[in-house]
Amino acid sequence: MSTPLTEKPAVEPLPRTAGAASMIDGHYAPPPKDKDGKMWVRTSAIIQADPQTLYERWSDLESSPSWQEEITSVKKTGPKTSHWTMKSGDKTIEWDAETLASEPGKRIAWHSTAGDIHEAGEVVFEPAPAGRGTIVTILMMFEMGKIAAMWETFVGRNPKQAVVENLRHFKALVEANEIPRVYPVPHGPRGTIGSLKESAFGEKLPIPAGSNASQPA
Amino acid sequence: MKAVCWMGTSKVETLTVDDPQLLNAQDAIIKITRTAICGSDLHLYDGMIPTMEAGDVLGHEFMGIVEEVGKDVTKIKRGDRVVIPFTIACGNCLFCKKKIWAACDNSNPNAQLMEKAYGYSGSGLFGYSHMMGGYAGGQAQYARVPYANVGPLKIESDLSDEKVLFLSDIFPTGYMAAENAQITEGDTVAVWGCGPVGQFAIASAFMLGAAKVIAIDRFPERLELARSLGAITVDYSEEDVSVLEALKDLTGGIGPDACIDAVGLEAHSSDLQGVYDTVKTALLLETDRPIVLRQAIMAVRKGGTLSIPGVYGGLLDKVPFGAAFGKGITMKMGQTNMHNYMTPLLERIEKGQIDPSYIISHRITLDQAPDMYKIWRDKKEKVTKIVIDPWA
Repeated sequence: MSTPLTEKPAVEPLPRTAGAASMIDGHYAPPPKDKDGKMWVRTSAIIQADPQTLYERWSDLESSPSWQEEITSVKKTGPKTSHWTMKSGDKTIEWDAETLASEPGKRIAWHSTAGDIHEAGEVVFEPAPAGRGTIVTILMMFEMGKIAAMWETFVGRNPKQAVVENLRHFKALVEANEIPRVYPVPHGPRGTIGSLKESAFGEKLPIPAGSNASQPA
Repeated sequence: MKAVCWMGTSKVETLTVDDPQLLNAQDAIIKITRTAICGSDLHLYDGMIPTMEAGDVLGHEFMGIVEEVGKDVTKIKRGDRVVIPFTIACGNCLFCKKKIWAACDNSNPNAQLMEKAYGYSGSGLFGYSHMMGGYAGGQAQYARVPYANVGPLKIESDLSDEKVLFLSDIFPTGYMAAENAQITEGDTVAVWGCGPVGQFAIASAFMLGAAKVIAIDRFPERLELARSLGAITVDYSEEDVSVLEALKDLTGGIGPDACIDAVGLEAHSSDLQGVYDTVKTALLLETDRPIVLRQAIMAVRKGGTLSIPGVYGGLLDKVPFGAAFGKGITMKMGQTNMHNYMTPLLERIEKGQIDPSYIISHRITLDQAPDMYKIWRDKKEKVTKIVIDPWA
């Protein structure tokens, strides 16, 4: 095991009242605010598939590396438990996770139980009106110091943005059967400024396997 | 392969770069037989569009022969002759299903850049900045085309490249501009900008039932082309000509039923507001020069429609929104939903209703492209449309 990203906290249950869904009793509820070393992200996407299909694809944890950035392997260790490995730069991070709730076609909730990452999450699948697909909303909490988060942003992806991007990858894989990608792209010499921009625009970020990076087209 | 690369503001070079490769299973590699420089490429040349990187391959109007396809490509095969739409669409998201292809949710791998600038991301585009996906463009010998089952239009007749090339952007763009103008039989339509998109907007406005089209520009060769389509022309740079007055005079005092701004963010003006916008953009106090937009809002009749195919990029200053509200006008705009128009417009070409090649003024090689960017930008020659043979 490598250096943990965060100190070891106790993971509390997610605040169900203001859970993944974005309202309580017909009134909009903003996502929880970052505090006490906990960062929160809520993001949603409308996906052209039915809730049950999306629930099944999300539940297939071992296929997560195809759409989650930097996740290299997920192994089921029990009916409700799994072991996750992530590679960020030259750092390997591992943790165990447990599924807290799994309601077919409706929602999945999980948290980490041991290891280098402390997080909890919930994903909710709701049919969009008039056959417009399914609204998928994720709420995630992870414990990460501000400095660690800044470092992650500097070397790669802002951790909150990573949740947004992973949902985007999931959606693209379900809808279009592939995650869009551009690199390696033919180009002339970048020069100094062009190279700086390359990093700023995220070109160095790892591409999940669902983009077919690992399989010949 | 050889490709035209953006190397910085006002700097374009033809260089040897790596060949594109298949990256995804629905990709195709196209050997490009004809490509073109678009007026909107001049916005890149002038550095008006953010998120360009030195070395980026330019060009979004191209066609060619399918060279290679990924394993999931079923609609086209090696050897097919195809025209490629400049907007990239997955075909399966909510927006593609609604046929708003230019708003495709899945084709822009850099969607987060555009979300920061615009709230939501549009589709990926070829050769048009990293915010729009960072895809390599088509002013090159080969290009990689994603979602090859969705975009490419197969050409099965023996029509020449030059007759069908403009289905890749400007003909559909001009047509959608006329469609967005909500023209009904007998309408008068004013078109600002008689470049290629303006030309096709004029031709399309007549196809859709306009009785009168008024074309506004300052270049005699463009105005002449517009007149050849049957438009009435107004040269705004002539002494004593006021566009607003001309449009009133030509419409019995009510203004055009629809106005089409085929100019966009780098409008030119011969009066003081041109100086105002040039200074403000130079000081980074605004990003666009919305001279035509202002004029079109003022000119359109009460309850009329403003259609905007011209590209805008950022924050606009002194736009008379009160006039827009006061007259109750409708505004429609955006990147072209290419996939809706390619087949029906190809049919029009096949039936001989229009030959889009009439706008071509220059035929060049890839090596001549850098000079032509400069010549066109500086209006040193009478340029209406530049077509490139990448193998000449």
